[in-house]
Amino acid sequence: MKTFSIGGIHPPESKLTASKAVENMPLPSEIVVSMSQHLGKPAKPLVKVGEEVKKGQRIGEADGFISAHVHAGTSGKVKSVKSVPHPGGNYSLSVIITTDGEDSWAEGLNTAPIDWKGLTKESIIEKIKDAGIVGMGGAGFPSSVKLSPPPDKTIDTIILNGAECEPFLTADHRVMVESAEEVIKGLEIITSLFQGKAKPFIGIEANKPDAIEAMQKAAKGTGIEIVSLETKYPQGAEKQLINAITGRTIEEGQLPFDKGCLVHNIGTAVAIYDAVCCNRPLVERVLTVSGMEISSARNIRAVIGTRFSSIAAFCGNMSEKTNQVITGGPMMGRSQFTLEVPVTKTTSGILFINNAALETSRERTCIRCGKCIDACPQSLEPWLLGNEAQFRRLDDAELYGLANCTECGSCTFVCPSKRELVHWIKYAKALVNNRKQRKTA
Amino acid sequence: MISEAFIPAVTSLGSLALILGIIIYFVSKKFYVAEDPMVTIINGILPGVNCGACAYPSCNQFAEELVRTKDTSMTCPVGGPDLAAKLGESLGIEMAEPKPITCSVICQGNSDNARASAEYVGIQDCWAAMQAFAGPKQCRHSCLGLGSCIAWCDFNAMRIENGLIVIDKELCTGCGACVPACPTGVLVMQEKKAERIFIACNSHDRGADTKRACDAGCTACQKCVKVCPEEAIVIENFVARIIQEKCTSCGECLEVCPSKVNCIVLEKDMVKSIKVS
Repeated sequence: MKTFSIGGIHPPESKLTASKAVENMPLPSEIVVSMSQHLGKPAKPLVKVGEEVKKGQRIGEADGFISAHVHAGTSGKVKSVKSVPHPGGNYSLSVIITTDGEDSWAEGLNTAPIDWKGLTKESIIEKIKDAGIVGMGGAGFPSSVKLSPPPDKTIDTIILNGAECEPFLTADHRVMVESAEEVIKGLEIITSLFQGKAKPFIGIEANKPDAIEAMQKAAKGTGIEIVSLETKYPQGAEKQLINAITGRTIEEGQLPFDKGCLVHNIGTAVAIYDAVCCNRPLVERVLTVSGMEISSARNIRAVIGTRFSSIAAFCGNMSEKTNQVITGGPMMGRSQFTLEVPVTKTTSGILFINNAALETSRERTCIRCGKCIDACPQSLEPWLLGNEAQFRRLDDAELYGLANCTECGSCTFVCPSKRELVHWIKYAKALVNNRKQRKTA
Repeated sequence: MISEAFIPAVTSLGSLALILGIIIYFVSKKFYVAEDPMVTIINGILPGVNCGACAYPSCNQFAEELVRTKDTSMTCPVGGPDLAAKLGESLGIEMAEPKPITCSVICQGNSDNARASAEYVGIQDCWAAMQAFAGPKQCRHSCLGLGSCIAWCDFNAMRIENGLIVIDKELCTGCGACVPACPTGVLVMQEKKAERIFIACNSHDRGADTKRACDAGCTACQKCVKVCPEEAIVIENFVARIIQEKCTSCGECLEVCPSKVNCIVLEKDMVKSIKVS
C-alpha cells in the first residue's frame, strides 16, 4: 500500500458519520454569503440592499487574477451588505440574504446535463471560472487558475484527493460513495484539459473500502487509476499525496506543477462537473457535522451561507458540555468564537467538541525528546521553530524552514509537553508577514 | 621558601605576558582610531537607551552623526528640550527644540466596558490571538489586552490592567517602539499638551455594532462635532477624531458625549523633559 515517505501520525479516526447518507439541509430563513471564501483578494459585491436575487445569481465579482466569483445560494432579498464574523477567524464583507423560500434559479442555470466532450478547453475553463469554483479541501485556491498552469510546465499527473485523512470528516467519503459518476466525469473533464497527456489518479485512504469499491466500479474503462493509500495523517496534504502516489518530492518554494502534478479535491471535481455540464455555480456543498457533543452527527448538503447556528439546530443542538466548535477537521481546523459564522466554499466539516484537555493543558518546556521531528512530514524541526517563535528570533525561524511548514498539526499532536507548536509557528508567520508589510510600506 | 617548581611557571608566564604586552602596545599604536572627543561628550549627554526614536539605531550613531553634520534639526525626543539645550551648548550651536511626544491608548475597552466574545486559552500574545480569531473581545478594533507591546517598551512604561493596556505617563518617553507591535493599532503617538483631549476609541464598526460591543465606544453620533466651537472634531470611518492643532481643550465635547463611559477623554501631560537614568 502506498504512503508518503517521511513522518506522519495515527490519530484516532472517529469517523462517526461514515455510513450516514448525505441529507439535504432545509433552507434557513437567512443566509450570509461571504465575499472572501477563497485564497486571494475578496470579491467585490455586485448587489445593493433591497435588491431581489435569484439562486445562482452572481453577487460578488472576482477582484483580480487570484480571486473567485461568489453566487447567491438561494433566491431572496438582500438584507444588508456588511462585515460579519467569518469562520477563517476574522471578519469579512458579506451579503446577507433573506430567503423567499422559492429557491428559484436564475435564468440559464441548472440546465439538463449536456455532453462536455464538444466543448473547447477555453470554454470549459471559462465555465469553471464563472461558477466560482475554488479548491474545496480547505485552502480555497481558485480552480480556474490552478487548471491553467504556465505554458512551460507540463502536467503529467492529475490526482484527485480522496484521502480525507482528518479524523471525523466523512464528506468526501460520502460523495465518493453516492456520486461516483459525477466524480469520475469531473476528473475526466480536468484530464481533457491536458490533451490526454496526463495520467489521472484518485488517491483514497484504505479505511474507506466502500469508497474505493464504488470508485473502481465507476472508473472501469476510463483509464483512471484508483490508488489505495495507507491510513496515516496527513495523507491528504497536497505535498504528501503527491509523494505517496508518484514518489516525487515538492521542494521548498515549489508548487505541484513544478513537478508535473495537479491535485484537486473530490468535492471540486463534482463542482466542476456541475458547472460544465449543468451550468450550476458553486452554491452548496457537502459537509460533515460531527463530534461527541452534537446529538445527531450527520453528513449534510448545505447552501453556502448557512449559519452554523441553523446547522446546529438541524442536527439536534449541541450539548451544554460543548466548549469548542471547530470548522474543518480537528487537526487543522479553526476554533470558532461565535455560531453566527456561515458555511463557506471551504467548510468541510463542523465539529462540536468537549475538549476537557483545554482547561488542564498548559504548555510546558521542550524536553528534547524529538517526537515532533519524527512526526513532521515536511522534515522540519518543529520544537526549534517553536523556540525561535517564542523568543521572536524571526530570522532564525525563517532559516529553519518556517515557510515550509504546512501547519498540519502532527507535531502538536505528539508533543508530550503539550507545546502549542503549530500556534507558535502561525504566530511567527504572522510576525514575519507584519515585518514584510512594514518594510514595503 | 619558594619551591623550585614555581620558577619555570613564573618565568615562562612572565615572559609571555611581556612579549604579548609589547605586541599589544605596537598594535594599538599602529591601528589607533582617532575618535572625536566631542562624540564621547555628546554620548555622555544622551540618554543611552538606544530606543531608536531619533531614527538612528543607537545613541552612539546619533552622536557621531550630530558631531559630523552639526545638523540643528536633529532631535532626541526622549531627552526633550533640556537635552537639546545641553547638546547645543556643548556643540556651540542652537538646537531645534523637540516637541515632547507621548503614547496614548485609543481604547477604553477594559473588562468592565468591553464585552468578551469567547474565552481564549491559547498562547498569551496579541498576535497569536489574532491567528485564532479577532481577539477575545467582541470589538475587533480594541486593545486585545494580552500585552504584545510590553516587551517592546524599553522604559517599563506599559502594563496590563483589567484587560487593557495602561501607559505610565511619567515613564513613557514617546519613542514609538510599541506602535508597530500592536496588531489592532490602538497605540498612537501624540504631542504633549498640558491638557489634551482625544477620542479614546478605535472602532470602525457602525454605531450600533460598536455600542453592542463596548460601553465606551464611539458611535459617531456627531454630538461633539456640533458642539465644538473650533470645528476641531471630524468623523472619519465611523469614529470621531480631534484635530489636535485646532483643539483648545475647552472641554465642551466632554459634556455632551452620550456614551455610558465617555469615549472622549482628557489627559493631562507633564510638559517637561524626562530624566533617563
